[in-house]
Amino acid sequence: MSKLVTLPEAVDMIRDGELVAIGGNVLHRAPMALVREILRQRKRNLRIIKTAGAMDVDLLCMGDCVSSVDAGFVSYETEYSLASHYRKAVESGKVAGNEHACYTIISAMRAASAGIPFMPVKGLVTSELIEENSYFTRIKDPFSEDLVTVVKAIRPDIALIHVHEADINGNAYIEGPLFDDILMSRASKRVILSAEKIVPENKFAFSQNKAQIPHFLVEAVVKAEKGALPCSCLPNYDINPKQLECFKRCETKTELAAYLKSCEQTDYRR
Amino acid sequence: MGEVRISDLMVCAMSRLIRDGEKVFQGVSSHMPMIAILLAKSLHAPKSVHLNIPGGVDPNLKKLQRYSSAGKNLLEQSCSIFPLAEVFDLSMRGELDVAFLSGIQFDRDGNVNASVIGDYHKPKVRMPGGAGSAVLIPTSRRAILWRTKHDKRTFVDKVDFTTTRGNIDRIITPLCSFKFEEGRLKLDTIHPTSSLKEIIENTGFPVEYDEIRYTGEPTKEEITVLQKIDRDDIRSLEFQLGGK
Repeated sequence: MSKLVTLPEAVDMIRDGELVAIGGNVLHRAPMALVREILRQRKRNLRIIKTAGAMDVDLLCMGDCVSSVDAGFVSYETEYSLASHYRKAVESGKVAGNEHACYTIISAMRAASAGIPFMPVKGLVTSELIEENSYFTRIKDPFSEDLVTVVKAIRPDIALIHVHEADINGNAYIEGPLFDDILMSRASKRVILSAEKIVPENKFAFSQNKAQIPHFLVEAVVKAEKGALPCSCLPNYDINPKQLECFKRCETKTELAAYLKSCEQTDYRR
Repeated sequence: MGEVRISDLMVCAMSRLIRDGEKVFQGVSSHMPMIAILLAKSLHAPKSVHLNIPGGVDPNLKKLQRYSSAGKNLLEQSCSIFPLAEVFDLSMRGELDVAFLSGIQFDRDGNVNASVIGDYHKPKVRMPGGAGSAVLIPTSRRAILWRTKHDKRTFVDKVDFTTTRGNIDRIITPLCSFKFEEGRLKLDTIHPTSSLKEIIENTGFPVEYDEIRYTGEPTKEEITVLQKIDRDDIRSLEFQLGGK
């Protein structure tokens, strides 16, 4: 049966309070059409998982959709600077900013993908992050009896991943950097894909480029051409600086609503 | 030589710390180290290995991406794919030679803060976070840090929060290079554009040093290569914008 759904149908599958992992890295290949629809549907208390987030996390915080963010880094990098809505949300106490080293998100998802409760990580032993966060602790290595830091498994309820190509069964192909998306698709209970292009059902069977995400992991596929904008989805398109700056200027709810409205035509294109 | 630009000086100082054959990683918000690695590979360390987040090993970058140091161009003409998760694994097993990282506050004991000012759970200022720092600074063989601000709010007596500490080799600032020795930060070299007095006035802990030494100015050759690698002067972006 086809897993192809509309953007509103896909986001309707996300329930308030769920643990949501977001694919891509900083301004690269973030599933922005899905994120915008989360704001339109006023989802609440989502707990976000991301190694290095930028506009996706910032936008969700501005839309009051989030209760916590577990990430190693949240910023637009140097040129577009800080994620001000994320900052404000954490500073005001509305959102819990659960800091990870990017790697501990990866380790926590590796544990989840293997069905084990935690994963040892090195280095972190010198960090105050261990005392402040319940997802880190030190235990005795049963073999050497040395202290070792462990991070608790993260098993997201949903992963939102933007891909270059998918078929209606959910087989998906990403071109260029995969970041941590393949792992994320294995660690999560359900996967929702947005795809630049819906390809014929037998395409991957006859192609040298096999789908990196197999259909049986995927719950829904949305056709979302330009679905990462204003973030990049190379080689198809680079960031759209004008749109990015337009969002960065948004400060009020009215401006945010206008921004979401301005993207509707592209987001809802079938 | 004409007037020395601080961005050139900092990038050259970082570049010279890379030794030939070393495996070197740069992450997000890291244009200066990225350019330093490219410079080292063009000059004294052609066999050093450039590792990054998208995972392109030794990419041949024809054009740098202004808004990101973690984009797809870092896969261009790379010989192999070795993405972030594997770079961390490499570091944890003790085989990453150099990791370039930054922070917002640093203290004399070598603690690095990239997390918060004030209480962790109700921070006065929530910063972007340490990204890989908490794993890479303690596990890489040498962590080379840089910061484009050098003032008493950046180099403090005691950091508000210890995101990490560990194998710091150098911290390169607009005024000087610090080294980490015997468990504390010491002045290593003074940039020729600065002075001991200026460094003391802008550092929140007593400045200790073994001898007065100066950072070498960028050579003509370094500047020529820099202009070729980074035509658009992306290495100066952090000074123009100040953001992370």
